[in-house]
Amino acid sequence: MTTHLDAPDATGVPVPPPTTTARRKRARPGIQLIIGASLIGLVAIVALVSLVWTPYDPETTVAADRLQFPSAAHWFGTDRFGRDVLSAVMAGSQITLLVGFIAVGIAVVVGVPLGILAGMRQGRLGDLIMRGNDILLAFPGLLLAIVFGAVFGAGTVTAMVALGIGSIPAFARVARSGTLQVMKTDYVFAARAANRSEFRIALRHVLPNISGMIVVQCSVNFGIAVLAEAGLSFLGLGTMPPTPSWGRMLQESQQFLGSYDYLAIAPGLAIAVAVLGFNLLGDGLRDRFDPKMRSNR
Amino acid sequence: MARRLLSSLGQFLATLLVATALIFVMLRVMPGDPAVVALGINATPEALAQWRAEYGTDQSLALQYLQWMGGLVRGDFGTSYVTSQDLSPLIVDRVQVTLILVGLSMLLALLVAVPLGMLAAIRHQHPSGVVLSGISQVGVAVPNFLVGVLLVAVFAVHLGWFPSGGWVAPADDPVEFARRLVLPVIALGSVQAAIITRYVRSAVLEIMREDFLRTARAKGLTKGAALVRHGLRNAGVPVVTIVGVQLAAMLIGSVVIERVFVIPGLGSLLVDSVGNRDLLAVQAIVAVLVLLVILINFLVDLAYTVLDPRLRKAA
Amino acid sequence: MNARTSRRALATTAAAAAAVLALSACSAGSSSGGSDTPSDAIVIGLTGEPVNLDFTTTSGAAIPQVVMNNVYEGLVTIDQEGELQPQLAESWEVSEDGTVYDFALHDEVTFSDGEDFTAADAVFSIERVQSDAWLNGTKSKMDVVASAEAVSDTELRVTLSRPSNAWLFDMGTYVGAMFSETGVDDLATTPIGTGPYTVESFVSGDRITLAGRDDYWGEEPDITDVTLRYFADAVASTNALRSGDIDMVYNMQAPDLMGQFESDDAFQVIEGTSNGEILLSMNNRVAPFDDVRVRQAVMYAIDRQAVIDAAWAGYGTEIGAMVPPTDPYYEDLTDMYPYDPEKARELLAEAGAEDLSITFDVPTRPYATAVSEIVVSQLAEVGIDASIQSSEFPAVWLDKVFTQADYQMSVILAVEARDVLATFNNPDYYIGYDNSKIADQVIAADSGTPEEYVSGMQEVVRTISEDAASDVLFLFPNLVVADADLDGIAANAVTESLILSGLTWSD
Repeated sequence: MTTHLDAPDATGVPVPPPTTTARRKRARPGIQLIIGASLIGLVAIVALVSLVWTPYDPETTVAADRLQFPSAAHWFGTDRFGRDVLSAVMAGSQITLLVGFIAVGIAVVVGVPLGILAGMRQGRLGDLIMRGNDILLAFPGLLLAIVFGAVFGAGTVTAMVALGIGSIPAFARVARSGTLQVMKTDYVFAARAANRSEFRIALRHVLPNISGMIVVQCSVNFGIAVLAEAGLSFLGLGTMPPTPSWGRMLQESQQFLGSYDYLAIAPGLAIAVAVLGFNLLGDGLRDRFDPKMRSNR
Repeated sequence: MARRLLSSLGQFLATLLVATALIFVMLRVMPGDPAVVALGINATPEALAQWRAEYGTDQSLALQYLQWMGGLVRGDFGTSYVTSQDLSPLIVDRVQVTLILVGLSMLLALLVAVPLGMLAAIRHQHPSGVVLSGISQVGVAVPNFLVGVLLVAVFAVHLGWFPSGGWVAPADDPVEFARRLVLPVIALGSVQAAIITRYVRSAVLEIMREDFLRTARAKGLTKGAALVRHGLRNAGVPVVTIVGVQLAAMLIGSVVIERVFVIPGLGSLLVDSVGNRDLLAVQAIVAVLVLLVILINFLVDLAYTVLDPRLRKAA
Repeated sequence: MNARTSRRALATTAAAAAAVLALSACSAGSSSGGSDTPSDAIVIGLTGEPVNLDFTTTSGAAIPQVVMNNVYEGLVTIDQEGELQPQLAESWEVSEDGTVYDFALHDEVTFSDGEDFTAADAVFSIERVQSDAWLNGTKSKMDVVASAEAVSDTELRVTLSRPSNAWLFDMGTYVGAMFSETGVDDLATTPIGTGPYTVESFVSGDRITLAGRDDYWGEEPDITDVTLRYFADAVASTNALRSGDIDMVYNMQAPDLMGQFESDDAFQVIEGTSNGEILLSMNNRVAPFDDVRVRQAVMYAIDRQAVIDAAWAGYGTEIGAMVPPTDPYYEDLTDMYPYDPEKARELLAEAGAEDLSITFDVPTRPYATAVSEIVVSQLAEVGIDASIQSSEFPAVWLDKVFTQADYQMSVILAVEARDVLATFNNPDYYIGYDNSKIADQVIAADSGTPEEYVSGMQEVVRTISEDAASDVLFLFPNLVVADADLDGIAANAVTESLILSGLTWSD
């Protein structure tokens, strides 16, 4: 995760522009979009199903069934406590999605209004906001999560909030740069001429026009949050047992590498699928929502 | 140019000041009186008072902050309440370890990502380019600790080619130092390589559509040669940006790799200090990490000026 | 834009990268790996690092593990069979009534700071335990001492307020450590004792190195260069062993890996005994565990053999009470609370505690997290919803659970020798067991004849078990994996101490 905590757009780095091929094929939904959406759909469906049904209770330990290789009864085998790995992977998707939703939610709710404000009020207020944003930028989400763990106790909630705060700068930057572009457009000039209130302009003109970029950023940050949560759980600072979490499953699988490899493969694959899904979705959406294309219209 | 530099520097210092103040305040919220943490719950009131006077925690927050900052400027992080050890040498030691690990991983990532990214861009319509692009996409999605755990399982435990972890100071034994770094650097660097490859690819693709490249190609240069002669510098801006972002993230992000490979870096020290509720140590480590991140952002800012002629002119 | 400038840009980047590396000058970090293992050196892997080295103010077994018998010595010590042996005292005599102990001390014993060890130091050490300087709760073991006096430099007389069967044994643990009158200024980092080793360096979060003393009064150890490396992760320590970085993993915390080492000739695997009980502690003072029926329900709800099998790969022994079989007053009480979830549910219903929700403070130790997962699952079966709260060990757990007793349920490895009384015969202890039923019995047993001691203590332990003061899940094995050429491993962890002086390489 480390890296990814971080990954591409954690800080609102200008996202890579769409490829020429992608532009050419823009009319159809890109292959990336389709694959990404399918992978995320898969994770989401698994999470929903696991709410009502898993093959076994993912938290019930059965000492007699410990460390069984994959079989018809246990498709992904069982772990050292005799718990069904498939069930745990299924239930683990809930935490993954929850952390992603909350973290991204916090970042959007705080970062986007700040970014829009900074973009519309370029002056002292705008400067101040962006300076504050730069300072926040110096506190990566993972660092916040570790320190918050000391202050508030480690756990899923602490992790979500810390990762959310850590992603605020990315959203503020994206929202601000989008707003700056929108503010230059004719219809905003017209709205201003017609004495529309700033709030109304933000709501009617700015927000709809930057929503595409925000959605792209959401998707990217979702992937980042998934990796970060896994990393925190790997360190023992994320989701607490017995709630299944992919990162902790990986951590627990360490002492069985070489003898029961499936214990690492299942959660590892699950993380990769979820992150890949969000990244592809982000890329695909970017091709569709590219602001340059929009302004060309 | 000079004005821009100065204003960057000013911003850098201001950011630093506010950030350290934030850290200081944030950690005062940490539950527990440091005197009680240090002396135990059975300590007498006199002992507690004496301790507080000795460590200065009975003074006002503002004064404590100033004293702490004064220490920071002199490179003195104070003495840990918990371990009674002098923090400065410990932290300096750990920072170096983390910088080496992160620096080498980034170097590896760039060595892999720049050529691969360019190749993927030049061949973006060929199957090989698509495959490269796909591999990098998957690489980004793999948690680096999984890479680390697998590398240990295969190359250290099973094959025995490399040590499973640990750290040897380069001065003690340069060969052993290098051997021990191979697996962690690959684990940390490979995922970075995947991320940067994607950025290099898009940056280069963007440039390939620019006029000057078309002209160069019209003059008879091959795609690759034209790119190397003219395009690299322009592709530099987004790449430097992402390298800066990733470096900043890796400083703390490497903690997981440090854990897997038992490397005594700054991130591991932070996690340990948090576990020990070692307030001063946590405060100092966070300050150092934040300082480094701000420093990186500052350097990236400077790099823009060097790389982008338009920015230079504007200044 | 020409080739020259782009090359310069490249050079700038390279220079920046070089600068990053140059910043981290060549001395970077201190080495933590790389043991080529000369014959007088050893690297031992441990989990659970001490915060500092001062056990007089800081609780936790990690400290005496390092310093007892290695840096500090006592008048007496406990050998690998759990028997009392002389150490700094050559011999001793006990008065008829069992209250006066006359110790004859070894002559020409020096502390590592060069000072002589005399009876005055012994008096100082004993009185220091009773003073405010000593904050560790185990100080109560010294309560029975009425006075200590130095008759001469080598003659020490200790007078007890009543006869005690336990006191001399306790003097073999860290309570009996002998300090120098002039050497207690910096116990946290510079312990000074009479033992064969001194602490050479303590690198927080990484390792402690010990060096053999050449002026040691006893037989100098073969291995004089000892490095104790601390691993946050049990698997990392076994990986380090396998790749030759360390020579031994002591108190190995990844039992599922034992099998792989057993089948490898390069390693020896020892399952030593220990005094460590995995204790599922319940706070007797707070709801719901202030109700004996709820505590008993927990005892019935837990299938201890299943806990051993699932959490610790079958290594470990059911003992039923906080008394290991090596103690004189051991009695098999494993049948007192058989696994009976039905009975547990009945008791909970009787106590009006159905659908109970509790918090479960789990220290961040491999055994604790492993045990907690299966305990939570078994408690869920009888309708107790335990939510796990992670407490960093040692700092947070010691502060929150142990010191402030701000918890409902926890789990801990209690490694101290003969700790049943320290744990239960003290209402202020974090367990909060109401000891009014046993307090008098304990004193009677301790003051009685050896036979009365055994039968009296057995009765005390039965009472504690009937009250279900806490659930002793199992006796923790001391798993040791080491290089096959290493001899003299003290694999039985009879006290907290890891005894280093017997270690030697066979070739």
